[in-house]
Amino acid sequence: MTGLPLSGIRVLDLTQVYAGPTCTRILSDLGAEVIKVEGLRRMDITRNFAIADNDSQEDYWNHAGYFLYRNGGKQSLTLDFTDEKAIELFKKLVPEADIIAESFTPRVMDKLGLGYESLRKIKEDIIMISLSGYGRNGAWRDFTAYGMGLEPASGIASMTGYRGGDPLRTGISFTDPYSGVAGAGATLAALVYRRRTGKGQHIDLSEQEAAIPVVGHALMDQAMNGRNPERIGNRSHWFAPQGCYRCKRSEAESTSGGGDDNWLVITIRDDDEWAAFCNAVGHSDWADDKCFETVESRFEHHDEIDGLISSWTREQDQAEAMHLLQSAGVIAAAVLNPKQVLFDEHLKARNFFDRVDTGDHGVRPVPKQIGAQFSAFAPDTARRAPKLGEHNKDILQGMLGLSDEELAKLEEEKVVGNAPVSEVPVALMRMFVQWPTTTFLGMSALAALEADYKQQLGIEDGNGDGS
Amino acid sequence: MSELALDGIRVVDLSQGIAGPYCAKLLGDLGAEVIKVEPPDGDYTRRLGPFPNDEPHHDKSGLFIHLNANKKSVTLDIDSDQGRDVLDKLLDKADVVVESEQPGRMAALSLGYDDLKSAHPTLIYCSVTPFGQTGPYSSYKGNSMTAMALSGLMYITGDHDKEPLCTGGEPAEYFGALHAWVAVLAALEHRSNSGQGQHIDVSMLESLGCADEYNTVAYSYLGAIRKRFYSRHLIPTYPSEIFPCRDGHIVVIGGASGFPLMMAVLLEQPELEETPLFQNLWLRTFQWQEFEKILRPYLMEHDQEDLLTRAQELRIPFAAVLNPETLLENPHLRERGFFAEVDQPGVGPLPLAANLFRMSETPLRTGPAPQLGQHTQELTG
Repeated sequence: MTGLPLSGIRVLDLTQVYAGPTCTRILSDLGAEVIKVEGLRRMDITRNFAIADNDSQEDYWNHAGYFLYRNGGKQSLTLDFTDEKAIELFKKLVPEADIIAESFTPRVMDKLGLGYESLRKIKEDIIMISLSGYGRNGAWRDFTAYGMGLEPASGIASMTGYRGGDPLRTGISFTDPYSGVAGAGATLAALVYRRRTGKGQHIDLSEQEAAIPVVGHALMDQAMNGRNPERIGNRSHWFAPQGCYRCKRSEAESTSGGGDDNWLVITIRDDDEWAAFCNAVGHSDWADDKCFETVESRFEHHDEIDGLISSWTREQDQAEAMHLLQSAGVIAAAVLNPKQVLFDEHLKARNFFDRVDTGDHGVRPVPKQIGAQFSAFAPDTARRAPKLGEHNKDILQGMLGLSDEELAKLEEEKVVGNAPVSEVPVALMRMFVQWPTTTFLGMSALAALEADYKQQLGIEDGNGDGS
Repeated sequence: MSELALDGIRVVDLSQGIAGPYCAKLLGDLGAEVIKVEPPDGDYTRRLGPFPNDEPHHDKSGLFIHLNANKKSVTLDIDSDQGRDVLDKLLDKADVVVESEQPGRMAALSLGYDDLKSAHPTLIYCSVTPFGQTGPYSSYKGNSMTAMALSGLMYITGDHDKEPLCTGGEPAEYFGALHAWVAVLAALEHRSNSGQGQHIDVSMLESLGCADEYNTVAYSYLGAIRKRFYSRHLIPTYPSEIFPCRDGHIVVIGGASGFPLMMAVLLEQPELEETPLFQNLWLRTFQWQEFEKILRPYLMEHDQEDLLTRAQELRIPFAAVLNPETLLENPHLRERGFFAEVDQPGVGPLPLAANLFRMSETPLRTGPAPQLGQHTQELTG
């Protein structure tokens, strides 16, 4: 193992929420020093999401799980850009940086006097990446954008949905992580280029555009044949049968009478796999049926085949069925709920979840942010997220040489600090950010609520060694 | 001609399907020379559609063209001695290899990383597979849907009273491609620092798993097991989903400043501002059926473009639901030059989804995909 590829690279990270922080978290894991800059009047809103145990500590904004996932390993500096002094301080940091990342709507950085042209006057080879909903030019450039809107605007939602139903979004803000990873790649490419030529540059990444290639084959069908895809549920454009089939109730569900929400996905790509499937489930008669002989005929009789497959899966345990079919060479997988993902043996064997010591809330599992393992180095992933303004002193005094008096004055003026400035009293805000979990359960937005989850995960508060 | 970001980098793309080839294509977009080594009958995506007029032809697959633009194609039987000799010569000049075989298969051909590393110490060897090179599922077969299922994303996509739903468009394949591409670029930087190549093991499942927004955290921070619930977020953002409107669909998002006033203005019923449903986010979240009774009829009387424009004027982050047809026609994307019209030999001009992002100094390349074996002579003769 050798050093990390980005050691010695410093990033000033003005991004917030999800896409931008994914981009800079990847750079951080690869060895870059990432300084996250937040305003006290505009702290990253995800500091409000998924507060550990819905606790009522005064500084709830330092305990959010959502924030931890995308910001582990970063440093936190607060600078309130509504104050000219903050902008001047930021400009003093620019010569110390290699990369500036931001995710405002395009006009903001220019308005602050921090546009690319201004920044390169301070540091000629600076690399700047701007992630925005719709990019820096074009009719929609000033549109305000949330990830929930960009997946549909990328065309993906038009192909997601039950047969005959409305378009649906993925249960995550799909384009955020997608464009975050794309942004990390673009930034790395700019670093490769800078190393060779000494030149920096500006990257304009539209989160809408980045995800459009995911529907590339359908775009080609439109261009070649003028055809728009129909929503086909879990079926495939190329293979049949493919679907999501209900399995038997788990033991826990049978006892409680609830649930019945266990599913298996199956894809059969060719005649050999169809025969292998039929034999594995003890129905070689299906393989002999002329109606199901070719992929074309299986498409034609898809409903009927789905009925047959369901009649088998309904009696099977989802995990056992997956292993049985995979052993026979058939593509199959259990549809895991988020808890099952945390306990999955394969992900566990590959250390996909780091066990991160959060300090105040003990050890918690956090998924990796890079889906690759490297033989030459191990990304620095298992680090907690910074508290708001945790590194103010290190950066403003250590890097910029401010005196104690100057720092104290900035704190007094709320240009920097350790607590958000809001008109809403903290006590009220704290109530607002707590998740109404029991109500969610009643609405069926949650499958279950388990009070003993920490014991199950082996993450008793303060117990650093995990399970 | 401008300099490209990856000028001078050579990639040998041994992969087939979606994830590996798209990773190699993204390296080609940045300027790397990508040599796609295909078996004599070609990458299997050449046999998957869409095809013009639905007539299959190995040089006309829309899927293949989309995934393999900016590459050169060499056909080789790498199982034969002769083919292996040619491949060795290509590897001698390669900086990066991308492959997507089932774990163990490349080693069986004496083409695994361990077989190559002593002769090629600076080679970056990237394996892209459904489950990765190690672990109990490493020998399993997979695709985008298995990754959706095992990552937990499928369980939370769809309606709570229906089956879990797979996201359209093979998302895990593309996530895998992006992570592989990022990893190769990181390894190029690492090689510049250390002089060493390495093996990269990309798992499509983990690449999609990285996109877990707050599903596992809901359990590990609150003991809550999230379930699919329409297109809705559980973080405080209701409404944030797709509704039908008069001429299609629209994404209705309240955003930070949409309630209570701006949404009431948009719906042309200013009196709604004073109602509890508009004043109280959590009440609206819980009594969403009541809110929809107000929202849906209004949307059905208005068109997407009108709703989108007026909402954005009020700084409410509505969005358009676009499909392949409306994407290709979209004036905003046209103005930005997102689609590159490329003359694809044998097919004609095609709009390729080419300009993933804009780099001010190093534009992305936009060229056609190679015909099967088009460059065999040139590169192996």
